Amino acid sequence: MQRTLKLWRTFKEGMTNFRRNGWLSLATIIILSLSLFIISLAGLITVGTRLIVSNLENRISITVSFNPDVNEGRILEIKQYLERAREIASIEYVSRDQALDVFLENNGSDPIIRQAIDEIGENPLLASLVIHAKQQSDYQKISTFLEASPYRTDINRINFEKNRKIFERLKHIGATTRKFGLAVGGAFGLIAILITFNTIRITIYSHRQEFEIMRLVGASNLYVRMPYIFEGILYGIFAGVTAVILVALSAYGLSGYTEGAFPQGNIFQVFTAYLPTIAVSTICLGIFLGVISSFIAIHRYLKA
Amino acid sequence: MNKEKENKTMPHTEGQPIVVFENVTKDYPGGVNALHDVSFRVFSGEFISLVGSSGAGKSTLLKLIYAEEIPTAGTIYFKGRPIKDINRKHLPFFRRNIGTIFQDYKLLPQKTAFENIAYALEVDGRSAKEIREEVGELLEIVGLGGKGEKFPRELSGGEQQRVAIARALIHHPQIICADEPTGNLDPVSTKEITDLLLEINSYGTTVIVATHKKEVVDQLGKRVISLIDGRLRHDEAKGKYNIKL
Repeated sequence: MQRTLKLWRTFKEGMTNFRRNGWLSLATIIILSLSLFIISLAGLITVGTRLIVSNLENRISITVSFNPDVNEGRILEIKQYLERAREIASIEYVSRDQALDVFLENNGSDPIIRQAIDEIGENPLLASLVIHAKQQSDYQKISTFLEASPYRTDINRINFEKNRKIFERLKHIGATTRKFGLAVGGAFGLIAILITFNTIRITIYSHRQEFEIMRLVGASNLYVRMPYIFEGILYGIFAGVTAVILVALSAYGLSGYTEGAFPQGNIFQVFTAYLPTIAVSTICLGIFLGVISSFIAIHRYLKA
Repeated sequence: MNKEKENKTMPHTEGQPIVVFENVTKDYPGGVNALHDVSFRVFSGEFISLVGSSGAGKSTLLKLIYAEEIPTAGTIYFKGRPIKDINRKHLPFFRRNIGTIFQDYKLLPQKTAFENIAYALEVDGRSAKEIREEVGELLEIVGLGGKGEKFPRELSGGEQQRVAIARALIHHPQIICADEPTGNLDPVSTKEITDLLLEINSYGTTVIVATHKKEVVDQLGKRVISLIDGRLRHDEAKGKYNIKL
């Protein structure tokens, strides 16, 4: 009962201090907000870049084109044969007619192309199977597998070699982005944490004489410490919310430049899709930073 | 018997002493010797003026009583128990036996007069009703009836010291240690605060006042302990300010 009463009192005191030290609280929240904003933005950019890379990866496929004399039944048989492979995520059959429809939809407005098609008099395109692998590294395996299969004589061409360079470049971009994101995010995060810690340390420093007074009138170290821990929580909540708003505004500002780069659309839509995760993690990080900084900063004044 | 020894004779020997200094020495880092081989006893209900020039060791002596400092040598007893035996964790509880008053008041600037006094009871886990009643009563006693909601910055020096005295009294301490309580006050406020301390003493609370105000000490006509360079030079039952500058 007494513990609850004391906890409630220290909580109330934390609230009152937060309100009465208005300017100091505001300055601390601004610094903490900026730190959290940098960390969240670095996080969002890292996630965004990963999404771009994986979006591009998903768009990659191997197209296996068949000779014109191979009929649809035979191609579907090959499709069924391939579907048994563990590495393959999906296979789409594109008939010669469908291929022509897509081609005309994309290029039909060009009168020269239309004229060329008309002059040939028949569908020049081949039927194909569009194969998506589960992992990027599986494309090579699938290509080798097809070349060694009993159906190889039916195959006109496999366009893997053409895509190979793109695969490798993407793989490289993906790995570099991850490393770069982690390094930059980590460095900014560390700087932000140090700035936050120092700001809270200065705030606590301005109260150092009060700790002595509190202890002299019989307050235990825990009783002295608790209001500052609650203040740290308040800093974290307010700064977390502010940082999320800042990230939202930044994402909104960048939405025009990132249209279509993500499966979700633009960066703002990515932000919206991940809002609960971003909000909860930013606020929790804010609370953690606020509390841990207060705890460490006050500790040295309560040692004696 | 030489004069110095005569002056060191215990002026009061009735009952159990509340505080006993037994050959207490206090050195600070850097070779500063604040107190040297100091011995005396304080009995319940006494009013003691602790006099000496700046740096004589008055503040250190008081800090040793409320365990803000620990002696380098010797032993201090509080109600028969060595203070050094008190567990650090129990210090907050021990300090509730002792009221402390300072020259610079040491009030919490972000708290009102009422809250400053109430804080000492809040840390004890007392109920809101009790706190309201006791703090209200104490504010009346120290003459600040209508000023409970004022912040320290809105009060005069004398009024701030009254708040500090009320806070020191809130636990009904057995002893009050006042370190230059009138050091920052004008003569009128000095007289008022001294009268207030005398009134508190008249109810049975032991009061030790460190001061270098000659006129205050001389008017009191109470026990005077004089410190010179950290050594106890005089201890007189009805003493005068006898430090020569």
